[in-house]
Amino acid sequence: MSENSKPKVLIVDDSEINRSLLIDMLGEQYEIIEARDGEQAMDLIWRMGHELAIMLLDIVMPGVDGFAVLEEMNRNSWMINSIPVIVISSEAGSNILNRAFELGVVDFISRPFNFLIVQKRVKNAIMLYVKQKKLSSIVESEIYENEKRSSLLIMVLSHVVEFRNKESGLHVMNINTATRMLLKCLVKKTKKYALTSSDISAIAMASSLHDIGKISIPAEILNKPGRLTKEEFEVMKTHTEAGAFMLEDIPFGQDDYLLKTAYQICRWHHERYDGRGYPDGLIGDAIPIAAQVVGLADVYDALTSERVYKPAFAHDEAMRMILQGECGVFNPLLLECLKESELDLEKALKKDFFENRVQSDVHKITEERYGNIDNIASMRTLKLLEYERNKARFYASLSEDVFFDYSVNPDLLTITGQGLKRFKVPETMYYPIRNEKLLSVIRKEDLEALAEKLKSAKDEDMRIRCDVELMVDGKPEWNRIVARPVRASDGSHEFRGAIGVVSNIQKDYMKILEMEERARKNLAGHEAYLATDIETRLY
Amino acid sequence: MTVEECYRAFGGDYEGTIDRLVTEELVTKYLIRFLNDPSYGSLVDAFSAGGSKDREAFQAVHTLKGLSLNLGMTQLTKSAAALTEALRFGRKPEAEACFAQVKLDYNMTAEAIRRLAEAG
Repeated sequence: MSENSKPKVLIVDDSEINRSLLIDMLGEQYEIIEARDGEQAMDLIWRMGHELAIMLLDIVMPGVDGFAVLEEMNRNSWMINSIPVIVISSEAGSNILNRAFELGVVDFISRPFNFLIVQKRVKNAIMLYVKQKKLSSIVESEIYENEKRSSLLIMVLSHVVEFRNKESGLHVMNINTATRMLLKCLVKKTKKYALTSSDISAIAMASSLHDIGKISIPAEILNKPGRLTKEEFEVMKTHTEAGAFMLEDIPFGQDDYLLKTAYQICRWHHERYDGRGYPDGLIGDAIPIAAQVVGLADVYDALTSERVYKPAFAHDEAMRMILQGECGVFNPLLLECLKESELDLEKALKKDFFENRVQSDVHKITEERYGNIDNIASMRTLKLLEYERNKARFYASLSEDVFFDYSVNPDLLTITGQGLKRFKVPETMYYPIRNEKLLSVIRKEDLEALAEKLKSAKDEDMRIRCDVELMVDGKPEWNRIVARPVRASDGSHEFRGAIGVVSNIQKDYMKILEMEERARKNLAGHEAYLATDIETRLY
Repeated sequence: MTVEECYRAFGGDYEGTIDRLVTEELVTKYLIRFLNDPSYGSLVDAFSAGGSKDREAFQAVHTLKGLSLNLGMTQLTKSAAALTEALRFGRKPEAEACFAQVKLDYNMTAEAIRRLAEAG
């Protein structure tokens, strides 16, 4: 959306004069888009919702009325959250008003229209939303930068500590990643530890400080290549209390969640679930969950990395040892998490540490902290979406094939430009299975068979291939449809739609038919020859 | 005929309308467009279908009401509003009478506007 173009206003009213009046009032400052009824309005919102600065909506319209539009916008909450809606109506009864406001409408302009008031109210509503969107963008950026900076600082600090141990710098990053993964898995399993995304982030960050106490351990013990003696081990064990002591000693921020967590982790990451750990012999959930998780992550990483006193064990070997209790006793829930994250863990350790944290983490944190600002898709995201859409449109325009995009909700089929020329169907079709123009091109049974195949393809990467005979310009024409299903990414894998390509294979098909014909003739000829041959030989 | 005279002829609110729409030019433009608006025609058709098209009649008169309100046609607005309510939840007994009044007021309004249009 270019900064210098006029803001786009969608006017939805079944009366042409009304639309015209509003256009006369607003046309100079805004680019006006019109819709005659709710269905047209929804179509426009789906296609260009994120470009609209505001929508003026009439309530009483034939077919899909204003309330139906508002309800659909609420079902897809990004719509109602990013497009301000002003209801224009001569119905101003309080129950209408109530319902409209409950559905998230921003303002109400009653008839008769007043030139100045309409202009001012529209301007106000647009400005309000623009400010809100800007704010949420700023907040998200700030949080992102903040997290990045703190992460960097902590990494530097822990590298300084690890430097003495001659351990690979990877250790700190691995603990961070592993802690984050285990915690994410844990909160999915149980609510009893009451952890927010913000907490998880803090714990992961604090985990980097778990061995900070080692700075007080003599180098000879730290880097001894062999087994430690009993006395040496006792000294080593003090790194837990030493680290905690150093953190306690910090003159400010003792109330800070991050600091408290770091203290817990430092002091208790060597405790055992059965109470036989050190330094305090805490049992079960008396051990703060942060310390439990880091403890497990630490053991896993120690086993799978090379140390001065041992070689690296394979991932499977490490899993086996942990699960069979050879390396201490852990919270059974955590062990479950370890097992479930197995594959991801193996892959993720050794990858770039900050990038492991997807933008979605930051978004989640913003949501949790600032409640209301959530769900307004940030401008950055919307711009990315716009960019991807333009890319796809461009590539589609270069090919003679027809690209299609189907969604279940709304029940909508979208076809690229080539399809309009070849098949003479509209660019967007609601309820495609009932669309006459579409059914004049492709048989209903073929459509249904294709849909079945797509719905039963469990794996999104599976490509469905169908050769169908279509009617193009009144003539039968063989086409190949290659498509894949689109499934929900929230874990439910619900069938959400499909995308695909339709290519004309009539020429190839004719060739294949020709070849088959020839082969049959050859075979028949050959058979005939054989038959005569056998005959002559037999008689 | 001036715009003000026209408004007097059809029992409309000239002052209020100019207040809201600011220029006589705009008002005149829409008065003339009003003549071509399909909602009155739709109302007559739907209402005469004797009950089967009452929903369409309701929507047509509702639209007509909004239009006349926008253009300050006080008299027409009153009768259109009455008919709207008489049709809102199905055809009430007073609908016939209300419809007759709407016809009267519409024709009076249209006549006045035509005179204005001819006057240039």
